[in-house]
Amino acid sequence: MKQVLEGNSAVAEAVRLARVQVISAYPITPQSHIVEVLSDYCATGKMDARYLRVESEHSCLASLVGAACGGVRTFTATSSAGLAYMHEMLHWTAGSRLPIVMAEVNRALGAPWNIWSDQTDSLSQRDTGWIQLYCEDGQEVFDTTLQAFRLAEWVNLPVMVVMEGFLLSHTYEPVDIPEQEEVDRFLPPYNPAFKVDTKNPFTVNSIAPPSIYMEIRHDNAVAMDQVPERFDDVEKEFEVLFNRRYGAVEAINCDDAEIILVTSGTITSTARLLLEDLRDRGEKVALLKMKMFRPFPVELVCRALKSAKKVAVIDRNFSSGAGGIFLQEVRAALCNRQDRPLVFGYVVGLGGRDVTKAVLEEIYKATKDGDVPSDKSVWIGLREVKHAIGR
Amino acid sequence: MSVAMGQKPFVVITYETTESNKTGSWRFLKPRYQDKQSPCSAGCPAGEDIGMIEMLARQGLFNEAWEMILRENPLPGVCGRVCFHPCESVCNRKDFDSPIAVHTLERFLADTAAGKGLATTPQKLPKRNQRIAVIGAGPAGLSAAWFLSMLGYPCDIFEALPEAGGILRWGIPEYRLPLAVLQSEIARIRSQGVHILTKKAVSSESFHELRRSYSAVFLGCGHAHGAPLGIAGETPESVKDGLDFLRRARQGERPLCDGFSVVIGGGNTAVDVARTITMSGGNAAILYRRRREDMPAFGDEIAMALEEGVGLEELVAPSAIECHDGRLRLLLRKMKIKGRDKDGRGRIVFDGKKTVKKVVDHIFAATGATAAELWYSPPLAQRGVIGFSHCVLLLEEGGAPVIYGGDLTNEAKNVAQAIASGKQAAMVLDTYFERGIDEIKPRLEACVVGDGPALSMEAYLGGPRGLRSSHLVQYAEINTDYFQNETRVTQPRLAVEDRSRSVNEIELPITAETALRESGRCFNCGLCDECDNCYVFCPDAAVIRGQHMENRHINYDYCKGCGVCFTECPRHAVIMGEEGS
Amino acid sequence: MRLDADEREFMCSGHAACPGCGAVIALRIFTKAMGENTILVIPASCTGVIVGVYPQSVMRIPVVHAPMPAGASVASGLRAALDMRGDTDTTVVAWAGDGGTFDIGFQALSGAVERNEDFIYVCYDNEAYMNTGIQCSSSTPYGAWTTTTPGQDWKRLRKKNIVEALVAHRIPYVATANIAFPEDLVRKVKKAKSIKGSKFLHIFASCPPGWRIPSEISVKTARMAVQANIFPLYEVEDGVRYTINYKGKQRPVQDYFEVQGRFSHLTAEDFEQIQKMVEEDWELLQRKAGDQAADACIQSSSAKRAIKPNKVF
Repeated sequence: MKQVLEGNSAVAEAVRLARVQVISAYPITPQSHIVEVLSDYCATGKMDARYLRVESEHSCLASLVGAACGGVRTFTATSSAGLAYMHEMLHWTAGSRLPIVMAEVNRALGAPWNIWSDQTDSLSQRDTGWIQLYCEDGQEVFDTTLQAFRLAEWVNLPVMVVMEGFLLSHTYEPVDIPEQEEVDRFLPPYNPAFKVDTKNPFTVNSIAPPSIYMEIRHDNAVAMDQVPERFDDVEKEFEVLFNRRYGAVEAINCDDAEIILVTSGTITSTARLLLEDLRDRGEKVALLKMKMFRPFPVELVCRALKSAKKVAVIDRNFSSGAGGIFLQEVRAALCNRQDRPLVFGYVVGLGGRDVTKAVLEEIYKATKDGDVPSDKSVWIGLREVKHAIGR
Repeated sequence: MSVAMGQKPFVVITYETTESNKTGSWRFLKPRYQDKQSPCSAGCPAGEDIGMIEMLARQGLFNEAWEMILRENPLPGVCGRVCFHPCESVCNRKDFDSPIAVHTLERFLADTAAGKGLATTPQKLPKRNQRIAVIGAGPAGLSAAWFLSMLGYPCDIFEALPEAGGILRWGIPEYRLPLAVLQSEIARIRSQGVHILTKKAVSSESFHELRRSYSAVFLGCGHAHGAPLGIAGETPESVKDGLDFLRRARQGERPLCDGFSVVIGGGNTAVDVARTITMSGGNAAILYRRRREDMPAFGDEIAMALEEGVGLEELVAPSAIECHDGRLRLLLRKMKIKGRDKDGRGRIVFDGKKTVKKVVDHIFAATGATAAELWYSPPLAQRGVIGFSHCVLLLEEGGAPVIYGGDLTNEAKNVAQAIASGKQAAMVLDTYFERGIDEIKPRLEACVVGDGPALSMEAYLGGPRGLRSSHLVQYAEINTDYFQNETRVTQPRLAVEDRSRSVNEIELPITAETALRESGRCFNCGLCDECDNCYVFCPDAAVIRGQHMENRHINYDYCKGCGVCFTECPRHAVIMGEEGS
Repeated sequence: MRLDADEREFMCSGHAACPGCGAVIALRIFTKAMGENTILVIPASCTGVIVGVYPQSVMRIPVVHAPMPAGASVASGLRAALDMRGDTDTTVVAWAGDGGTFDIGFQALSGAVERNEDFIYVCYDNEAYMNTGIQCSSSTPYGAWTTTTPGQDWKRLRKKNIVEALVAHRIPYVATANIAFPEDLVRKVKKAKSIKGSKFLHIFASCPPGWRIPSEISVKTARMAVQANIFPLYEVEDGVRYTINYKGKQRPVQDYFEVQGRFSHLTAEDFEQIQKMVEEDWELLQRKAGDQAADACIQSSSAKRAIKPNKVF
């Protein structure tokens, strides 16, 4: 049934329908609506789950590690500083192979304070061993959240469902919410790979000496490498039931394009509009939407970009000293390919600045006119500013 | 190794214990259980296993505790009343609060057993061919017969008087040692198979006869005669023998108690005589040449005597007696303290020429005693005469060996020493018969309790006591953190006004509850009581408790030698030694 | 002494603890008091190492290792999972050192006990970061040398009063315990186990290498802390009802300090000042406890074997 929901509520509905058993969360703007709704569901019995009102994000994820070790389905949501505060536990979760699902609402990291959309928070956790899936709209947020549990529990890795603050979290859209029975058909009850139980005592996560640590990490890597394939399997199952699928990447008109824009999240929607305009004008342009960032779907990306002469990677994030993070990953993916395109990189929309169709068009023009890409990302839309210390 | 593929993640989940890590290899000091000697046991002339006795008593195992006494001492009911309990003065607990009332507890255990009519069947070796004659049924003779019969020797005791007991029967007042108590102890000795033949005085002739008809003779005739004062005017009429006075009283004669009596001496006999007179309605004073604190008599007895009205005059020595109007005039020289004697008591000298005169009605001498016959005493050192701490063995052609014991061979004359003498004599004879003369001293040495000279019959018989280290536990070696100050039991007694003209025992029994509490105060120095501190505290779970004490052990596969068991043992029953030693 | 605890061992031999380790003594007695229906959550600490290197485990009950700040939070989540599974027989225990409790784990602990999470949180306190090499923690007492309070720069600050901090949360049960008083420890563990909600046990556990003491006086030294009123044994119910559990043999603080190398630099004046500080704290505690019957107090641990019930008299 279609409902008009904000992105945060879409997440909450998916969590309810996924029959999550333990939820732990600490409030942070712009994630807080998710946990408000879930807390209400737990309190009113709409969900048979425990809601842990923890005192910090570190404890939040730590408590879910405890709960997941106890063999139950778990969920949390956070954002920005909260995610940064979870950093240690992000590693711990993946190392423990616990299929915890998290909704990560992108928000800029301080300092200075800024509550608006910026992907640097989630992308700077790229090495923690979590699967990262970026969403474009409310329906995708809902669907991806459900898929995340199926995927996580299949490969025994945690999944971060990433959505931009306000642009998705607080934007109301019609979202198709299925019935519980339908969801149950898609998502079976959680059957943990291990669970801590006094009837079968063992110790979890004791010291692993150098003689075994590499094998543990390699097993982790093997599981991560399977994720694009497993995600495809999950999507196939999902499509049968719900008639929707997204793909780890979505290649739009890529087969014949000379220039391909690479986007993620809500910028994709704006880029879709630009793409229509430019195609109408006869430009050989295409769009590659990155949904899956971890693992980085190298094969899918290379296949999509194969025909292009130029690629423009648009990042609403920034790794100081290295440029846009998607840019780095795309370049790295292509570097060993024959006939690889030139890869241009652009930084836009940090800290919630609007990324309009005009901004994207400017990027397209710059790419089309450019001969050789800069090693660094090019910053779009910078303004003249005054500041106190410089005066 | 196989890398799990997706469905079976490699999570660090353990599947083994650490028991394959033998951490015992870290150890350089090794703990070991080792029972040691408690000072009380070493201080007890009879070598009673006091620490163990109190341990059993504390657990309510009163019968077992009593039987434990009997292994070393056939007369617990007697000793619980009249022993001078040297055990208490060396008790380590004295440095903590006050010594254990070993004496009171011994009496309690004996009375409890007697009250229940308990019989005992001490370990008894198979019957031997050698028959032993014992002359004198005093504490030494009774003990010698008891231990000899334990070792398998049939014994006949020859006693001149109509009843057995010697000094215990005739020399100690009833209010201190009731007849029934003594009789029940003697009955138990009889039930062990010892024949006691009373009214069978042995003369020097019949003595030689015994040496022909028996394989050995034990001579324990004791000191039956009081020693004279040796002063001018002393006659059998003017100075009466204190021991003889007590004997008559025990025989039922009404004691002389008219007028004013003085008793010369400071030992228990002096006190007994004076108290007997006072309790019979007379008036008596003790005259002693030293001070009260120097008196060999028990402090409690002196205190009771004074309570009961006995007078005490210190630092006076008799010098002459004159008859005066049908009364006696006793001349005394005043003494004073100057320096110290070897035994630590004050040395006395005449206080110039100061004298006192006393007019009295009766004078009793209680300054010592001697053997009734010369041949009772052991021969002087010569070939064939072997001296031991508590007995003398005579081996000569033409007669069975003779072993002299009791007061006539003991330096200190008391019941406990007499028992020690009887026990030692039994061991000496047994070893002589079984292994020959040269084995006697080494075998006795192996049975010494602590630093001696007390001997343990249990050790002699190869019991576990013999396995203990000879180390005497010091107070500093007790972990007093496990003990708290607790008041020592106060000996209950008849009120003073109830003591007169009474033959009732003055010292009253204690309750079982009191006995449990008092025995619970005991440190049980050097003895494991399976308190489990070692087990509870062992960080390596390396202390293994068995069903029985003997099974308790340390698992050296894992023991790291930290020494916590050693420190936390309340009683010093664990030692640490160099690894490999 | 005989403990009213499980006869079985829940800790195997063969662990890697230093000889005489107080933490292990505490853990062994604690787990025997708890029994088999117990899960331990162990944040980074000496115990985290002691309980075994993969694939071995020292413990015969389940253990979940946790990052250092996360003892209370992992335990909270585990409790929630067990509740959802309907497992109400199992007790979840967070077992943390003083660093993991007083310092880095304090936020999670405060949060969890404010939520009155149904678990037992044990802080075994050896008064410094021992596993990393004897660094100062907020539990390190006044006067102590550590590798981060070296030489004459010894710690001149008081130890954090963690018990009062927990009492301030008004949780149902807070108690101190000490490895030298196992019977008291067992009683408190059992009491804690019987109460629903957050329970905090502060167990004083000596560290021979860190305290610079010979291993054989490990327990004795811990006991002296109680005897000197440096580490009083007491319990607080519902944040208000104080009961002092030990009023036995007393010692001056100097006795306790003199046996430990970590205090070897202290002078007579220092001892005097520390004695004053200890007395101040002790008086404060006594005021809170008010008058109480002496029989509620233990004098010392029992030295005696329990009486055989079948053979009394």
